[in-house]
Amino acid sequence: MKLRRTMLYVPGNSAAMVKDAHIYRPDTVMFDLEDSVSYREKDAARFLVYQTLRTLDYEGVETAVRINGLDTPYGRDDIEAMVRARPNIIRIPKTEKAQDVTDVETEIERVERKIGLPIGTIKLFAAIETPLGVLNAREIACSSNRLLGIALGAEDLVTSLRTSRSKDGIELHYARSQVLYAARIAGINAIDTVYSNVQDEEGFIAEVRLIKQLGFDGKSVIQPNQIKLVHRVYTPTEEEIHKALRVLAAIREAESKGSGVIALDGRMVDKPIVERARWTIELAKASGVVPEEVKL
Amino acid sequence: MELREIVLSLPTDRRMAETFLQSQGLRLEEDVEYTVVAVEGDRVVGTGSLSGKVLKCIAVEPALQGQGIASQILSELVHEAFRRGRDHLFLFTRPENETVFTPMGFSVVERMEKDLVLLENRANGFVQYLVALRNHREEVGVSGSVVVNCNPFTLGHRYLLEYAASRVHTLHVFVVEEDRSVFPTEVRFKLVQEGTQDINNIKLHRGGPYIISSATFPSYFLKEPSEGTRLYGRFDATIFGKRICPVLNITRRFVGEEPYCPVTSIYNQCLYDILPKYGVQVEIIPRLEKGGKAVSASTVRKLLSEGRWRETKDLVPPTTFEFLQSEEARPILDRLKKAPNSRH
Amino acid sequence: MRILHSGTAGTLESSDVMITVERNPEKGLIIELESISEARFGNRIREVITDTLKKLQVQDVKVRVQDRSALDCTIRARLTAAVFRAAGIEKYPWEELE
Repeated sequence: MKLRRTMLYVPGNSAAMVKDAHIYRPDTVMFDLEDSVSYREKDAARFLVYQTLRTLDYEGVETAVRINGLDTPYGRDDIEAMVRARPNIIRIPKTEKAQDVTDVETEIERVERKIGLPIGTIKLFAAIETPLGVLNAREIACSSNRLLGIALGAEDLVTSLRTSRSKDGIELHYARSQVLYAARIAGINAIDTVYSNVQDEEGFIAEVRLIKQLGFDGKSVIQPNQIKLVHRVYTPTEEEIHKALRVLAAIREAESKGSGVIALDGRMVDKPIVERARWTIELAKASGVVPEEVKL
Repeated sequence: MELREIVLSLPTDRRMAETFLQSQGLRLEEDVEYTVVAVEGDRVVGTGSLSGKVLKCIAVEPALQGQGIASQILSELVHEAFRRGRDHLFLFTRPENETVFTPMGFSVVERMEKDLVLLENRANGFVQYLVALRNHREEVGVSGSVVVNCNPFTLGHRYLLEYAASRVHTLHVFVVEEDRSVFPTEVRFKLVQEGTQDINNIKLHRGGPYIISSATFPSYFLKEPSEGTRLYGRFDATIFGKRICPVLNITRRFVGEEPYCPVTSIYNQCLYDILPKYGVQVEIIPRLEKGGKAVSASTVRKLLSEGRWRETKDLVPPTTFEFLQSEEARPILDRLKKAPNSRH
Repeated sequence: MRILHSGTAGTLESSDVMITVERNPEKGLIIELESISEARFGNRIREVITDTLKKLQVQDVKVRVQDRSALDCTIRARLTAAVFRAAGIEKYPWEELE
């Protein structure tokens, strides 16, 4: 189970950041060819990310590239170049309907075929950043087998809603819930939007707590120093770890008995509980708080 | 941190750059063409501008220096300059800030005491220029020099050059290359060339970027003298005396007396103060007068803008007059009619 | 590829390189290097540039390089972008670039 607590945005035309982003150990580095790159530099950023991805070793950190939409003059070249550069994930911006994902998928497949890459190698993330996208979150989330997750992008969304970001995030309540539900129905990740006031550490932590409580798997971040703050909030408590270990132990026991039914404390253990337990243990491992005796 | 372009025509936008520069003891100069600010949150933390081939009004908040903000600003300015077709770029700074720019590929052209350093984005730009200039050096006899704009070439200029040429064995004439005058550089050069063909000891040069250009003497191209006029005037004089004169063996500089234009008059004073330090004598030559008035290019431009051909003919050599009546001069005359009082 | 005018890419930021490509009226390749690492890496940078230009089939050009300790892959990326800009090409032959 791959954790995506933090997806670090890296402006695609910044040579220094593109080469060093992984040293901050986010769960995913996300090279951006879209909003952080001015239209004059689209070509240069694309070549930079292309060359760097093909050359550098990101030491196990997952790589993603946010491409420009297919409705721009850059989207097709972004896909041509990025499939060849082979990041783990291509992230689609401003997704509004299932077809948007399918269109990108068709292009990716075409290039995969051309260069002899197994079809389906490149995975997808879809960003939801418009009112229509929010309302179509479910069809988007279920649109492709390549899709690993959907991510809320709130900066443009709040503008479309004729409001702005607030500290408690009340304006995003509906969108967050919608994205989360859609992701859970599809069985994929739900990633929250960036928090752009990089000076406000307190506000940032409060928001991370909120989205974790809502059920999000992680958050897009724009500052390396936000990474450890998110990871800290996502560190499970001893009690959570203990609970998870009991669930996993119960599974092992059931398996060794050849029993199809897993029970704990006189109750059935069903799929969501198992998944959550696995996730908790992954989080514990990543946070370095897994008890010594546990060998999983 | 992000970079934002300032919409210079919008006062509220412009103020962002102005206010920040003021806080750093600088100001947004009037001739900037393109300005960016570095913004952190809603706070301006740096700025820089482009004017011709000069990067100027560059500042970064002291507390944030060393974080790469300056290099981002500079990169954007260089790109904008390239987009506008200018690739040889200059910037002035104080000597203590020199090391901010040298790691970014800018090299020192010249330093003036503790006040000013001129940098360019070429490793050996100035040296290459001087090497090329050296081919025109005359070892025998006295070499003198004149720098002229000639917008356009008048009998006044002709008189100045003829007189200067009679006083030396070789006269190096530099035509200001900056293309900010009503008469384009190529035309100005051609008219000087045609109008002095009979003077045998003149060697004509394009001034290039190191003699009265927006790089060495930005204030020259402003209408009114500013606080920078004297400083930059001294700088231009220093480059000329210290670096260019020795290469060409020049020991004299002739200048036309300047009764009208305060900027040129300050510049002449700078030459007078500085060039002798480098063994170059400055000789100020009175203007040629016609009908009790000094012949000047600005008078000629005024006459032309009013269509007074007969009077124009009295003030320019036949070669210039012929050009003025040609098809090629049409767009220039049209421009003059629209802006009759331009400085150059 | 034919170079039509001058083209520039890259920045002056640390770890980056700014590269300008223009036509060389004479034959051959001229590289003007202004690097803080000239002494140590000058040859390596020249090698990367020569090699990249060969792959792009570009000849008779002048390349101006302002290096701020860029990685080889960064130099390659900036040079490629500068060449395509200088050639005025916006349709990239991705197959050939591999």
